[in-house]
Amino acid sequence: MVDRQKRIGKLISGSLLSGLEAKLSEDVNVEDISVGRLVVVDGKENKFFCLLKDVSLQATNEDILLNPPSDDFAKQVHAGINTFYKLSIQPMLVMPQNPMEDDRPRPSTTVPPHFSNVCEATEKDVSLIFGKPDKNSPEIGSPIFMDVPVCLNLEKFCKRSNAIFGKSGSGKSVLTRMVLGYLIKSDLAVNLIFDMHGEYGWSATNESTGIDDPSLRQLLGSKVAIFTVDGDSPLYRRVRPDYDVQIPYSAIEIADLELAAGELGLTQAGIETMYRMSDKWGEEKWLSRFLEMDTDDFPAVVEDLKVNEQALGKLHRCLIRLKKLPFIRKEVADDTVERIMGEIQAGRHIVFQFGRYNSMLAYILVANILTRRLHKLYIDKTDFARAECIEGPKPLIITIEEAHKFLDPQVARQTTFGTIAREMRKYNMVLLLIDQRPSGIDDEVLSQVGTRIVGELGDERDINAVLTGLPNQGTLKILINNLEPRQFLLTGFALPMPVVIDAKNYSSFCDEVSIGSGIILDAVKQKKVFDDLNAKVYGDDQIVFD
Amino acid sequence: MTDRIGEVIQVYTTRFLAQSDNLLNPPYFGSFVRAESQGMSIYGLVFNVYETSIDPNRRAMAFGIEREELLKQQPQIAEFLKVEFEAAVIGFNDAGHIRAYLPPFPPRIHSFVYPCSKQEVLDLTEDLEFIRSINSLPGLPVEELVAASIRLAYGERGSDRNFLVRAGQEIAQLLKDEYEKARSIIRRISDGR
Repeated sequence: MVDRQKRIGKLISGSLLSGLEAKLSEDVNVEDISVGRLVVVDGKENKFFCLLKDVSLQATNEDILLNPPSDDFAKQVHAGINTFYKLSIQPMLVMPQNPMEDDRPRPSTTVPPHFSNVCEATEKDVSLIFGKPDKNSPEIGSPIFMDVPVCLNLEKFCKRSNAIFGKSGSGKSVLTRMVLGYLIKSDLAVNLIFDMHGEYGWSATNESTGIDDPSLRQLLGSKVAIFTVDGDSPLYRRVRPDYDVQIPYSAIEIADLELAAGELGLTQAGIETMYRMSDKWGEEKWLSRFLEMDTDDFPAVVEDLKVNEQALGKLHRCLIRLKKLPFIRKEVADDTVERIMGEIQAGRHIVFQFGRYNSMLAYILVANILTRRLHKLYIDKTDFARAECIEGPKPLIITIEEAHKFLDPQVARQTTFGTIAREMRKYNMVLLLIDQRPSGIDDEVLSQVGTRIVGELGDERDINAVLTGLPNQGTLKILINNLEPRQFLLTGFALPMPVVIDAKNYSSFCDEVSIGSGIILDAVKQKKVFDDLNAKVYGDDQIVFD
Repeated sequence: MTDRIGEVIQVYTTRFLAQSDNLLNPPYFGSFVRAESQGMSIYGLVFNVYETSIDPNRRAMAFGIEREELLKQQPQIAEFLKVEFEAAVIGFNDAGHIRAYLPPFPPRIHSFVYPCSKQEVLDLTEDLEFIRSINSLPGLPVEELVAASIRLAYGERGSDRNFLVRAGQEIAQLLKDEYEKARSIIRRISDGR
């Protein structure tokens, strides 16, 4: 372990509020300095852990800017005297120079003295802040330009709703898989993952290599149950899902359909009509009854409900799309929510997949219906447990992709997801929001997010949204702007200070969490060898084994 | 000493005037010289060299003949001419240590002046303090003088680039508020690379 501090500058000015400023040492190449780095300011009695947030060009003399030095020699001579580089750093944590055993880094409440040395953080510093990896605080990457683990405190992570943001291609899915993998491995909470794009089940395609990487089920075996609405999907040729989900019409509430209004093309008049039908025909029966009708039956309905015939026709055309989702049926054999609850109580984690029905409509409907019922069940069980002074249901983390569809400012106040996000862990339920458009999420929900993991984001509005409710937004904004693919800014409740990391290598994650990884990975490798051989021998002819 | 180049004829605390021993090899502008006086070496930097008539009331006159030819034809003319040079005091030798600041007293009149040895030039220019001394003396062609002396010291150091950069930085630092002046000196020493 190399642990010699490299001095990069001296503190010259600044404040706790706006950040500190240091002059870069002449012997340090400015091109080696990059924003997002962790630096340490050596005060008299304390070490200040800071984030490098900006580097700027400075001149002591206006004249030199008007008549810049022309040759390299002159540039070299003026460097450090008439021209210099200023580092802007934000103090975050402070720790005594000679810490006692129980000293932990605490938030910085003052600044170091003038001309204190500013050094690159050493591996020792980083492990002082982020701790050493273990089961409940696994390594999820290393600070940029360093090779030291940054650990995510999962115990804290489970206590709030969290979010992983990043545009597509930022490595968000892979990181999410790692976080979920570690969560499952730690057993600190049960996970219900609404896996819209089929990435968290058996395997997921690696975008850069095109080869399938093992995903949660493959890595963690029977700890993970796969629920699907599309049991016939080719996805499951190799591995059968644990449970084929069917949802009865009676489980669909008008609020669920309202949430999918955009996808269904519902109008306000249509929604009014639905309420009329529900009042008249019963909450659980109206939908199946309405969908069984055809246009000939409409005049009677118009008569009965006093609604506009055209609106009725339009509503019918909208809702008939539900019939294209074969997992929504009139009668079902089994109650999915009870099943999920059973699995949760047994401590199994659930990946809920959509197979070929990965349309937004199916996703929104299913996620919303199930979560609403689960939430009710959880409230009942938690309240019951409180009254009886017994242990409540296991903490549950619900992972939702495309979170903005559920937490849009217009609907967030009414949906179950909005409620869960706001009430935090009162009922042992929290959310893990996965999204590439955080600007579409309600501010109130965003400000309740405990830990944020932010990857590359293109849109200014998204960046601003991600920072809602955080201190030092200016600094964090610069850091987000400078992220590259597979780099993430981690900030919030589960981290002692914000940090930019290079995400951990997926294969080392697999080696770490996988149960009997050797056997499974060998099997995968063997299958690949076998497939290659087949391709060689038989070319493109498909061979199907029963 | 055989390498004597002149004799001090007028002194001030900060500068001295010497008459050159011969007309053929006057000291260079910007060169380092040493006056030996009262057992002490006092170092100066030549900032002005001039040739004049020995009689202040009689100016030399034009003959319209090349100097070499003229001196061959009328060798007596050489007897009426003298070369004098002025040096700014930049330091002294105190019991074997070179001090780059003003000595307690100037050299005495009629002290002899010698060129500095290579080692002396190296020692005198090591901490570059002499640049500050020159800059603070009034009436000197500072820019030219600093550039010339640094080029010379650079040559004595076997064209050590680090020295040149160090000197340039000293100049940039000293003339922080006079960027144009610093720039012109730096350009001059930069040419010497």
